[in-house]
Amino acid sequence: MIYADRKQAPMPSEPQRKLGDDGGPSKPDIERPTAPNELLKRMKNIDPDQAKKYRQRSGQ
Amino acid sequence: MSSSFTPDKQTRSILAGIDTEYGFTIEGRDVTNQADDSMAFVRHSPDEGLLMWDYQSENPRRDMRGFQVNHLTFDAQDAEFDGGRSRPPAAEERSDRALPNGARFYNDHGHPEYATPESWSLADLVAHEQLGDQVVLNAARALSQKLNREVQVYKNNTDFHGASWGTHESYLTPRKHEFNDLARAIIPMLIARQVLTGAGKVGSESKGPVKFQITQRADFFVEPMNVETLSRRPVFNTRDEPHADSSKWRRLHVISGDSNMHPGCTRRKVGLVKLALILLDQDRVPQWEIPDPVTSFQLVSRDAVGEGRVELEARSWTTPRQILESYCDAADHAEIADPEILELLSETRTLLEARHSNPDNFWPHVDWAAKLWLLNQFADSEGQWEQSAMQALDLQYHLLDREDGLYYGLSSAGLLCGNDVHPSAHGLPPNGSRAVARAAFIQNFPEQIETLSWGQIRLKSGESITLDPSLWYEQGLLDVESIEELTRRLSQ
Repeated sequence: MIYADRKQAPMPSEPQRKLGDDGGPSKPDIERPTAPNELLKRMKNIDPDQAKKYRQRSGQ
Repeated sequence: MSSSFTPDKQTRSILAGIDTEYGFTIEGRDVTNQADDSMAFVRHSPDEGLLMWDYQSENPRRDMRGFQVNHLTFDAQDAEFDGGRSRPPAAEERSDRALPNGARFYNDHGHPEYATPESWSLADLVAHEQLGDQVVLNAARALSQKLNREVQVYKNNTDFHGASWGTHESYLTPRKHEFNDLARAIIPMLIARQVLTGAGKVGSESKGPVKFQITQRADFFVEPMNVETLSRRPVFNTRDEPHADSSKWRRLHVISGDSNMHPGCTRRKVGLVKLALILLDQDRVPQWEIPDPVTSFQLVSRDAVGEGRVELEARSWTTPRQILESYCDAADHAEIADPEILELLSETRTLLEARHSNPDNFWPHVDWAAKLWLLNQFADSEGQWEQSAMQALDLQYHLLDREDGLYYGLSSAGLLCGNDVHPSAHGLPPNGSRAVARAAFIQNFPEQIETLSWGQIRLKSGESITLDPSLWYEQGLLDVESIEELTRRLSQ
């Protein structure tokens, strides 16, 4: 059996991050490429409430 | 069909399949109609297929840990929707279609579901998974025409209101492996692989708010392992339903993956689990003790910016990257003949390195990162990230419509990488798998089939043919002109 060369760090006394308390992602540190204007324009025309209206049954 | 980049009879590794449940909407209808609408959806499929499937050998209540549950838990909200609805007989409700490529299309719990034929190669599997999108779209268009209402199909796993449906993977696995060894090989991989395979989601449906997370499904896992799929979903599903000789085989049933729009993610998602199974077979699985797989899965999903965090025993922790690299390192000492898995190892290392050091070389390969990149571009142009509008765009990413779906917008703009699809699926079953035999009967002798399932074909003559999943089935079976000859060849 091979044991992985694990890199483990000791747990800090306070977790660095808890579920839900982060401010969310920031944009990737990139300048290029950019989304084509046509695609951005299309996105602007999408009903902003469509996810609110989207209801489904649970599946597997 | 096979090339130096796909496995052949000698180099094949693990047989696998994917079944995908699709979300859909019909203009003027709502979720309370969905159980009936999904049945109508499948029944309007214009694609050729046999209207049958044999459930006799199927038992989803058997658990790999050696017992059987009395019943499976159903979703309480769905039960409310169904109040007063009289259900048709099971076969009528399922409305099965056995397709000429060896796939199956049916209604499952109110969702149209397409199950690929079993495939030895990742390229074939991805091609047939993509073919499923087309089968579903064809049915949607036919239903739309019939009803004169708009029908939209979404290849995602959540409605943002707490309902989830699945994209499941199946892997043929020898029964000889102990259950605990199998679970220890697979659970770390399921937690870690999401950084390279998640479909991405705006927001959360449990555990507190988050702006964006890596997977669609993380919110819905509440137990480390169990046999359930509709409720109390686990990270590691223990369903023991091999669709083959149960004394020799298990079917590893993975329910924690997302539906991927990006074919490269689908390929990688299955390839990484195959890698874990190959290492298990050679007793080379990296040893990770993850005491709380549910929390670890969710912590990784909620860290779209950092490396992610997987908590281990004794107050230590690691990252998804270190887990994935440990599997790649272990593979360096294993005997791997499958050329697709060798290619996957290289790709995995490259993407893990690129994720933070060179994001431009990462996001075009990975659904969640491509979605997040696009949403950030939009937020920049609007001057704000407005959560409900971003959820609307998230949903639009998964719309199966080449004109309006945002995934297709990225793809047609040439912004994505690694999303080419092997063009083999049209008309042909996956190379070498037992689906070739199934397809040979469906394509050439449909009127002589009494019924069929994954592992067996029963003929009207009374003969029954069992399809051993471990064998290699030559494509020449599709050209056999008499049923006697076909049956004889499969009996050898």
